[in-house]
Amino acid sequence: MSDLKQKLLIQLSDSVVNMEEILTVELAQTYIENSFDPYEAINKGLANGMDRAGKLYEEEEYYIPELLMCSDAMYAGLDVLRPHLKQAELGDKHTVVIGVVEGDTHDIGKNLVKIMLETLGFEVVDLGRDVPPADFVEKAKEIKAEIIALSTLMTTTMEGMAEVMHLIERDKLQDKIKVMIGGGPISKSFADKIGAYYATDASKAAKLAQDLVCGRAQR
Amino acid sequence: MMKDKMTPVERSKALARGERVDRLPCNPNIANGVARIYGCKISEFNRSARTIADAQIAAYRRFGYDGVRIFTDLFPWAEAMGAKINFPIDNTADLAAPAVDDISQINSLKSADPYKDGRLPIHIEAMKYLIDELGQDVSCAGGVVGPFTNAFFLLGIEKMSKLLFTNPDVVHRACEVSLETCIRYAQAIIDVGLTPTISEPMSSSTVVNPKHFREFGAPYLQKLVQYINSKGKPVTMHICGKTEKIWEDVVAMGVAGFSVDNVVNLQKCKEQIGDRVKILGHVDPSSVMYAGTPALVREAVIKCVQQAWDAPKGYVIMSGCSLPVETPFRNIEAMMDTAREIGYPIDPETLDKM
Repeated sequence: MSDLKQKLLIQLSDSVVNMEEILTVELAQTYIENSFDPYEAINKGLANGMDRAGKLYEEEEYYIPELLMCSDAMYAGLDVLRPHLKQAELGDKHTVVIGVVEGDTHDIGKNLVKIMLETLGFEVVDLGRDVPPADFVEKAKEIKAEIIALSTLMTTTMEGMAEVMHLIERDKLQDKIKVMIGGGPISKSFADKIGAYYATDASKAAKLAQDLVCGRAQR
Repeated sequence: MMKDKMTPVERSKALARGERVDRLPCNPNIANGVARIYGCKISEFNRSARTIADAQIAAYRRFGYDGVRIFTDLFPWAEAMGAKINFPIDNTADLAAPAVDDISQINSLKSADPYKDGRLPIHIEAMKYLIDELGQDVSCAGGVVGPFTNAFFLLGIEKMSKLLFTNPDVVHRACEVSLETCIRYAQAIIDVGLTPTISEPMSSSTVVNPKHFREFGAPYLQKLVQYINSKGKPVTMHICGKTEKIWEDVVAMGVAGFSVDNVVNLQKCKEQIGDRVKILGHVDPSSVMYAGTPALVREAVIKCVQQAWDAPKGYVIMSGCSLPVETPFRNIEAMMDTAREIGYPIDPETLDKM
């Protein structure tokens, strides 16, 4: 790997961590001007920065506003890099339907998962927040999504998650659509109970989605 | 359900004098769940002061807990200052749109008049009914969100989160005008004879950096607390989520009581700040109170009491946050009955064997 490329990847990651939106854009432009691989810039630069920001959040060095600033920097960088991605680099097209279950309007966690999924090359259809269970299944059927990702911060939405599972069973879609869930009150035992997959955080959720479409995920 | 030997007011007066009481104070913090007990739709609270008060009264009479409060959601103050609110027919109100679309409108924000704007007059009227009917028996409170939290609803939650970094002046302006609203409302609460309580969810270290809390949250909150204290009233504050890193800041404001969430270490909280403020908390409102069983509730209450019963400035058994609306009545009963079963004075050895 060229020294310049290596240096730019580190700087891209740093500028996301440091919440520097303008610098991230400039670095992404320099990177593209040098004809380096945009997929790597997303993966090893921007997503890496977001990953580090997430760790800082876990360590209570960063908080929600810091994560929002980082994600803004990341999105700004993505806007520069994305037009230069070749479809082939995304591999086969895989679609995820994502949203926050009805009864909850907290969507920061969902937005982070969405960013992570997009940087891994997923096509993400975002239904937003406070979404009725049936809407997830309808949308997934309509666009032939392979994954439904449900996020919540509130226990009151957990029944809605179980409802999504019922609808999928009713329509016999278990083999076609996998459901992954996450968020504050969700545990692996709850996921197991309703037959969904569970991820503890946004980047793990994105990796889980990757494993699911490659058929190598275990519940 | 077991019966109490004292009213909450008798209990609290006796505790303050260091006399014997029948049990520790206990407040499940039912919130809009009172609609389920009284039998009305939550949206009726948006229009009828009588219904708000009657639902509170019905819930108090059913469970006998140590504190009633007029507080239906986080948004009446932002609404009174121009924010748009969603009012579901039978669930708690939620923010639909902030008071300003663009920060250039910041100077058009005006503080609210508690007797005129939005639902505030309804809440003040409900407070009058509440204190008339229950004031002899139980401490009656009027809830208000703190200026920092309210500022988020004026500017938009995500937008203000970023403004903390990009435009501190606008954030300070929103906090200032919020403080004015909070102070006017607190004065209205005091004028009808109730005691203000402050909820400051956005100050939580689960949400914002303690550094931002100190810069934007604490200065305005402190002014609100000092205002209330200057009128001869003590004030209890609740901050959701993690708070350990800001405990000392909260104590320094001069609050009389601090209500903590279930994610906090209660014992540590008592050890660190229990010598200066009363501690309230922290039975898990969702996994224990909403989704648990009476046996789980009993276990959780005992565990809280073991950790905090000997807090020097006093301890109140409470949920870590407002209860979900659909919390089963039997779990609320179990909370109260466990407080009654534990009794008073507390004997740690008996407690360990329960």
